Amino acid sequence: MKFVDEFRDPDLGRIVATQIVATVEPGRHYKVMEVCGGHTHTIYKYGVDDLLPPNVELVHGPGCPVCVIPMGRVDDAIAIARRPGVVFTCFGDMLRVPGGTETLLDAKAQGADVRMVYSPLDALRIARENADREVVFLAIGFETTAPSTALTLVRAKRERLANFSVMCNHVMILPPLRALLESPDLRLDGFIGPGHVCTVIGARPFEFVAADYGKPVVISGFEPLDVLQSVHMVLRQVAEGRCEVENQYTRVVPPEGNPAALRVMQEVFALRPHFEWRGLGFISHSALKLSEGYADFDAERRYEVPGVRVADPKACQCGEVLKGVIKPWECKVFGTACTPERPIGTCMVSSEGACAAYYNYGRFSRGEKRLAAAE
Amino acid sequence: MNHDGAHCVTCSDEAVPMRVVEVSDDGLAVCAGDDGVADVMTDLVAPVTPGETLLVHGGAALARLE
Repeated sequence: MKFVDEFRDPDLGRIVATQIVATVEPGRHYKVMEVCGGHTHTIYKYGVDDLLPPNVELVHGPGCPVCVIPMGRVDDAIAIARRPGVVFTCFGDMLRVPGGTETLLDAKAQGADVRMVYSPLDALRIARENADREVVFLAIGFETTAPSTALTLVRAKRERLANFSVMCNHVMILPPLRALLESPDLRLDGFIGPGHVCTVIGARPFEFVAADYGKPVVISGFEPLDVLQSVHMVLRQVAEGRCEVENQYTRVVPPEGNPAALRVMQEVFALRPHFEWRGLGFISHSALKLSEGYADFDAERRYEVPGVRVADPKACQCGEVLKGVIKPWECKVFGTACTPERPIGTCMVSSEGACAAYYNYGRFSRGEKRLAAAE
Repeated sequence: MNHDGAHCVTCSDEAVPMRVVEVSDDGLAVCAGDDGVADVMTDLVAPVTPGETLLVHGGAALARLE
């Protein structure tokens, strides 16, 4: 497909890899963090890290919205889903995210009407077709997903669809990025920025990372060549002593983002004073709720939820993985007690989660490397 | 997870290119991509015409690919 195939050319990949080797100092170790689950997935699926020299390390940040949802929010969702007359809709990956004791899939198996949808528009259609039922959509995602929820709510309000509501869990990427940058043990050389978030908010909001914290940022696309070239651009900034926001993904990301998307988000959402992120704790002004104008569609106002904070399982080290402190395979339960079939932590649920992405792809190449080293 | 199991629709950043097949007058367009055909909200990139490629996420077009 156009815009896809040309960015998977292995010969071009090898050329960029050679350029990276020529850019780095041999005795220096480099750490570059991607803050998007899509990049994590691309890195492992296409073996992008295998093309890098050993002294260039890719670190996976908190860019998967499924992975950062705390267990208490899942319990709140299950409480709504269990109510008589409710049709609870959500994206597929949320079905398997563990709450305090169970998942939405467990609730479905026990009789709750939980349905997977591909878009909030699907949930709206279910509401239109089931006027005698209360249809709730579990909204989740960063700034890339929030416009879709906002547009759907505008339609619901226009149609006066009284049996439709949204449990809003939309989060924003900049507050956790700032929290990471404030961390005293952060040792990163630069960031690969989330390209599709930037189609909405633009590249400019990332300028504080370079200006205030002295770290280069390269907004990147999602094909393997995009990620590889972005790593090269970060390393080139380091080599040349530059520190700025560059846009590798110019075919999609305009500097100002999408003003129409920002307007509809401004209308439909309001900032939450604080929101809990799995592994990162509470972060101020990091998540969205429905605005007063859309209060009638707010599932959390419509239904009582437990609202209880649930501590992560002790064995799970999702928090350290999300902060880039440890690699997925360094977690005590990775691949043994915690697998994609029976996840303990959220990073093992979504295919964008660092643990699941590594489990599905990376562990094979790592195993081959270990075998080669042993021989 | 999307149809092919390869990527997650809820990801912060995962949007996919889709080609406009048919445009209706209610802000929706039928679009085709690797994962099949879907109704897409085009309010944020309107107006669109058949044959254009859009970047689509969660049922909404976020950008036009050129």
